[in-house]
Amino acid sequence: MSWTAAQQRPGGAATAPPILEMRGIAKRFGATQALDDVSLTLRAGEIHALLGENGAGKSTLIKIMTGVYQPDRGEILLSGQPIAIGSAAEAQRHGIAAIYQEPLLFPDLNVAENIFVSHQNRGVVTNWRKMFREAEAILATLGVTLDVRSPARGLTLAAQQSVEIAKAISLNVRVLIMDEPTASLSAHEVGQLFRLVRDLRDQGVAILFVSHRMEEVFQIADSVTVFRDGRLISTRPAAEVSPQSAIADMVGREMGLFQRRAPAPKGEKLLSVQGLGRTGVFSDVSFDLHRGEVLGFAGLIGAGRTDIGLALFGIEPATAGQIVLNGKTETIRSPRQAMSLGVAYVSEDRRQLGLSLPMSISANISLPVLSRYLTRLGLIRTSQERDTAEGFRKRLSIRTPNVELPVAKLSGGNQQKVMLSKWLNTHPALLILDEPTRGIDVGAKAEVHAMIGELAAEGIGIILISSDLPEVLAMSDRVLVMREGRQMAILDGGAATSQTVMTAAMGQEFAA
Amino acid sequence: MKWLQRHIRPEQVRELSLLLLIVAAVLIFGSMIDGYYTSRTFNRITSSVAIITVVAVGQTLVVLTRNIDLAVGSIVGCTAYFTGAQLAAHHGMPPVVAVLIAMALGCVMGAINGALVAYGRVPSIIVTLGSLAIFRGILIDYSGARTVTTDSLPKWLLELPRLNFVTIGDLDIRAMFALAVGIVLLFQIGTSFLNVARQFYAMGSNPDAAELIGMPARRIVFSAFVLSGTLSGLAGFMFLARFGSITVEAARGMELQVVAAVVVGGVNIFGGSGTVFGAMLGAIMIGTLEQSLFRLQISEFWRDAILGLLILLAVASDAVILNRLRAIWARTDLKLVARDSASPAEAKR
Repeated sequence: MSWTAAQQRPGGAATAPPILEMRGIAKRFGATQALDDVSLTLRAGEIHALLGENGAGKSTLIKIMTGVYQPDRGEILLSGQPIAIGSAAEAQRHGIAAIYQEPLLFPDLNVAENIFVSHQNRGVVTNWRKMFREAEAILATLGVTLDVRSPARGLTLAAQQSVEIAKAISLNVRVLIMDEPTASLSAHEVGQLFRLVRDLRDQGVAILFVSHRMEEVFQIADSVTVFRDGRLISTRPAAEVSPQSAIADMVGREMGLFQRRAPAPKGEKLLSVQGLGRTGVFSDVSFDLHRGEVLGFAGLIGAGRTDIGLALFGIEPATAGQIVLNGKTETIRSPRQAMSLGVAYVSEDRRQLGLSLPMSISANISLPVLSRYLTRLGLIRTSQERDTAEGFRKRLSIRTPNVELPVAKLSGGNQQKVMLSKWLNTHPALLILDEPTRGIDVGAKAEVHAMIGELAAEGIGIILISSDLPEVLAMSDRVLVMREGRQMAILDGGAATSQTVMTAAMGQEFAA
Repeated sequence: MKWLQRHIRPEQVRELSLLLLIVAAVLIFGSMIDGYYTSRTFNRITSSVAIITVVAVGQTLVVLTRNIDLAVGSIVGCTAYFTGAQLAAHHGMPPVVAVLIAMALGCVMGAINGALVAYGRVPSIIVTLGSLAIFRGILIDYSGARTVTTDSLPKWLLELPRLNFVTIGDLDIRAMFALAVGIVLLFQIGTSFLNVARQFYAMGSNPDAAELIGMPARRIVFSAFVLSGTLSGLAGFMFLARFGSITVEAARGMELQVVAAVVVGGVNIFGGSGTVFGAMLGAIMIGTLEQSLFRLQISEFWRDAILGLLILLAVASDAVILNRLRAIWARTDLKLVARDSASPAEAKR
């Protein structure tokens, strides 16, 4: 459909003049090459979809286009003229605007003010009447009815998106970037949004549309670009791309980055979850986990994987469903209770939820089970603490001169090992690992992987939540795929490939 | 009800109900205290309200940007003492110069706070808690613990508090109260119609978004503190005129009254919403309570406790009542929109 529509429009997308050209853009953060020699052209009257896995470099590119980041190399041309985008305000002056999944409105200012808030030259005095009138006029061209006098607080997400679009129009936008704009919208609201987006396109605006929802991409896009690992893999007219070919481009064919773990002998059933849900977050999740088994949780960021982990550990308890642990039905309401049941949760957020950075390694490791280290008078036996820490230091090869060092002084990989030690010290039966290798180097990653294998062999049931697809595939006996809070599939080791997992995570049918 | 909801916002309901509360408080105290309804009571209340109001206007600007200025009491004390000392030494100094000295000193003190908060990135509660003590310490050192006494001051200053702006019936509107009302009007109009001032609201409402669209976030916060300091300086002059005798303890603890006035007046302590007018109503409420409780011979310590209770009530009601009101308004808004869009169809029939 979109193919014919694109062809019928006068001066179809392929021939339209380029508005924004990115040439050879590169950006590096520490050890990660976020973008590597990326060249992308956005044309007037074209909706250009950008696809890619988590961490493929989409957000980095958007932040460079909106002036939040500066590229290390490469140039940006606007209507053929090289420009520098030094700040968000400068991007706006060039007519480049971005709309995010969560609109950036001022809740206490009224709708009209929000629309005109970034106009630099509004004069000294606010002419409220004129502003209300103009805001109403812009919203009317969008076909949206909103009280421009009421504060933005309390508007529905769809209404907030409309305000953001009105804001972009009022700035005479030439390039509009939409980063997952539909993620929190209902189907009806998505339809309305798409009507607005098509109108903008027909007025000659270049639109970069980032979305994880395949069907939407093919519904609206004129051309499709796929990113993988910071590189541009392909740019093609939407008509020449199928969901399957796009997914193939996204995951690539390079597998075997990690050695597949030899499965440990499966023990008795440890955990059985039936119809687990938390209102508005995820629903109807059911799976079994045996001792010595690694169950991978795959899916895109925001699919609800972490939320299941938080529910099992009682941080954000489930509101529906049943958890059977060691054959007993349990209602887990707090982390304390979860710990007493033998559940441990290694958070993805090392700094905020995981470790006390100024405290020593040994103090961090003993913290969850401090009562084990107390004398009869309630004082801490530091020698015993130190012995435990030394044990973990050897076992996980934590690289540190001594265990009295503050955790803040360690590298990311070693901090991760301390965190793992801390939770292993609770002697868990069920270990939930949330992004255990994010942001750590390849060597430490391999060590953590080896550790996961050892722990499974000892009979611990492990849930591995990871956005690193090769990692999930290599480590897991089975893979549970989540998408937008729903369980899409549980794939057995053999059936789980990057293709099948990604297909499920993007909400596509297997047979297609 | 529908008509009311179209023309009044939930935030204004808050100010209206405060007005009703003030009336109720006056009626209750009137029934408890003999000779309450006299011009003397009115003068007492308005004179103390005038000073708190001027400081509360500056505080409102600071709170709007998601900050707080706890140093205002010390600034009022310092400027009152310093200006008093200068006037005692130079009797011939024109009144305008005296006012300007007080405001300039307050401006400098506010600028120190503002620079540390906006450019030093130190949380305002820490900065102003520190400068509250430091400014007071400087005052004690500068004064050598001496007192500015009434008889050392020029006559015009001592007569200033009794100067009438206008007399309505039995009630004298003092010049100082008129000045405070004038400042409230000035800033109320400014914050509603000046684009620069609207940025205060934007900053407090969503600091991240403000920065992202290129608002001069630091300059906004800095100028809020400068204005707060300058207005506190003016209030210091008014304090000097009202009391004449200034010790190093002058205006100690005033920050409690000022923050109470601002919060009771409906300015959101988390920034972004509230009005200067509301802060004045808050100041009137507190001034009325203070003076009336004094007349009832309730001890000063209990009066402070009651102020604290008021702050807690105001913040709590902000969270609970205002959200309820907003929900009610949102629901009727939806109904109105639905009816508006349905009406053409009905017309066709």
